[in-house]
Amino acid sequence: MSNILTIIKKEFSRFFRDRRLVIGTLLLPGLLIFVLYTLMGSVFADTSETYTAKVVNPSEAFASLVAPEGEDAAILLSEIEESDLDAAKAEVKNGDADLVIVFPEGFDQALAGGQTYPVGQAPNVEVWYDSGSASSSAAYNLVYSLLDGLENSLSNMFDVNFAGGGDLVSAAEAEASYYAMLLPFLILTFLYSGCMGIAPESIAGEKERGTIATLLVTPVKRSELVMGKIASLSVLSALSAISSFIGTFLALPKLIGGSIGSAFASYSAGQYFALFAVMLSAVLIIVSLISIISSFAKSVKEATSLSVPLMVIVMLVGISTMLFTTHAHAAFLIPVYNCVQVMAEIFSMQFSWVNLAITLGSNLVYIVLLVWVLTKMFKSEKVIFNS
Amino acid sequence: MSQLQAGNDAPREIIRAEGIRKTFTLSRKQRKLEKSETGKKVALDGLSFTAYEGEIYGLLGPNGAGKTTMLRILSTLIRPDEGDAFIAGHSVVKEPEKVRASIGFLTSELKLEDFFTPAYLFGFFGKLHGMDEQTLEKRRGELFSRFGIDKFAEVKVGDLSTGMKQKVSIAISILHDPSVIIFDEPTNGLDVLTAKVVTDFLSEQKAQGKSIIVSTHIFSLVEKLCDRVGVIIGGRMAAEGSLADVSGGKPLEDAFFDLYKRTVTGV
Ligand SMILES: Nc1ncnc2c1ncn2[C@@H]1O[C@H](COP(=O)(O)OP(=O)(O)OP(=O)(O)O)[C@@H](O)[C@H]1O
Ligand SMILES: [Mg+2]
Repeated sequence: MSNILTIIKKEFSRFFRDRRLVIGTLLLPGLLIFVLYTLMGSVFADTSETYTAKVVNPSEAFASLVAPEGEDAAILLSEIEESDLDAAKAEVKNGDADLVIVFPEGFDQALAGGQTYPVGQAPNVEVWYDSGSASSSAAYNLVYSLLDGLENSLSNMFDVNFAGGGDLVSAAEAEASYYAMLLPFLILTFLYSGCMGIAPESIAGEKERGTIATLLVTPVKRSELVMGKIASLSVLSALSAISSFIGTFLALPKLIGGSIGSAFASYSAGQYFALFAVMLSAVLIIVSLISIISSFAKSVKEATSLSVPLMVIVMLVGISTMLFTTHAHAAFLIPVYNCVQVMAEIFSMQFSWVNLAITLGSNLVYIVLLVWVLTKMFKSEKVIFNS
Repeated sequence: MSQLQAGNDAPREIIRAEGIRKTFTLSRKQRKLEKSETGKKVALDGLSFTAYEGEIYGLLGPNGAGKTTMLRILSTLIRPDEGDAFIAGHSVVKEPEKVRASIGFLTSELKLEDFFTPAYLFGFFGKLHGMDEQTLEKRRGELFSRFGIDKFAEVKVGDLSTGMKQKVSIAISILHDPSVIIFDEPTNGLDVLTAKVVTDFLSEQKAQGKSIIVSTHIFSLVEKLCDRVGVIIGGRMAAEGSLADVSGGKPLEDAFFDLYKRTVTGV
């Protein structure tokens, strides 16, 4: 046990005393992700732009759709006289405004009357826009869908969700389900790339430089060496992943809206515990796998390139939640896949303790197995000395 | 261990190798170089020898004879295909951890991490040998001043000269004060001054009752240092005995040439 601690301490000293490693694995990933997402965010930011529309005969019903209570209006409506219509159209053409909307006179009363008309005789809402302008087109699509929704909910035999009912999802939950798809993928990718920056160096690198042989002639047991390596590499990989995650945390909302923070605020302590346990088992499995690959490799370079195919597989498994989710218990026996699915369950608030237990239990078996394999490899002179 | 019960004067066996055989599988490149059809290289071909407590035993042999391979087997870094060796009664095959705890092993293949300082590495390996802080401190003081490492204690190993690196390697290899010292070509690449520090140190250790085995192809080193010699040629023990027995009144070098001719030509 004390040997394991000694090895962990040495691995940490190796890492934290090396400015190049600390910057490269702890600072840069987070920083790069932040810069990248922020840049991407500023490109796609238009989706949350507010548009300007000039309105003739404004409609209360429409205005309340555009700006539901307590929320910022997506479109700034300003009233104009019918006589100014041509001037307003010119503004749309030259980009000073995005839309001109002309409601028929008495539009709201007509809605309240609930009268239906034969096709072609219904009151017409004119929407003028400029398809040459991205923001005008976007505003048009938005207004069109709002009006379409308004019409659907009014003009038929019955209403759906007009006077009562509605989406019961809270804002936090809506964001949660959004992040539920994305987060498992991000977490897995960050863990994997964090580990790939550290484990090949620590195992294949020590082999390549001949420093591992010096350790092997001490009375340390191979299993202690393996456990010390895996424990320290797991912590460092997790730190690197956390760095990436902080970058994401700060920048992702700029990219896709909402906030991860509010998504997180809605979880209970139990869910956090579950999340922590799953991530811990994920990091241990990933570190063990990359360590095994690294001890096969003759050099750091070879270890890194051998780890790439596995990374592709892990990333593909990571996006599996975006495509489908399983609730079959047996599926939670599949390593890595089970982590992704349980994380998705936690994030989307459809969390099952049974699946968590299956995941953690089976992962524990896999980890023990992988540590055993790695110990075997460390005992093999073919592996250690490439002979 | 039959000598154990014998009289006080009878030397006690400390290292015994019994019929050690070791074959390496050659890579494609090596196969061409070695002109081997089978892709196998027999490095040790049933090697046996015995070293006694308190003596310096020299493994003498030309390049590729199998000296390093034999010592790597003694250090438990690699396993013999056949045979076994015992160090202070522990089998290298069955009790590798006990063997490792009782030996100090030095060979050029064991490298120290460039990134760390001698002081740090000394502490690290000391803890792996289960030494407490106090003993470690004392031992470090002794060995660092003995080898003149003090001034370089806080210099990264990567920045040290070859000779200083070798001295640090030696200090670390015997920091746990092992009763058996196994050094593979300890003076290789060292200038005469540094080489003398090493040989003096080995004589000193012998005087303290340690058992030592060194491999070398340098005759003068054997003549100066060793009590008994084993001459390895082509993975087999060609001659073994006291320095006087093996050299038979001639300079060791001449005796070796005769031996070599006889062994290789099979006369
Ligand atoms: N890992 C290995 N793979 C293949 N062949 C090997 C390996 N290690 C040693 N050999 C071969 O075994 C033989 C003995 O090698 P060894 O290193 O033990 O010789 P040595 O006596 O130490 O020589 P030197 O004086 O050059 O150090 C050589 O022919 C060598 O090429
Ligand atoms: Mg050698």
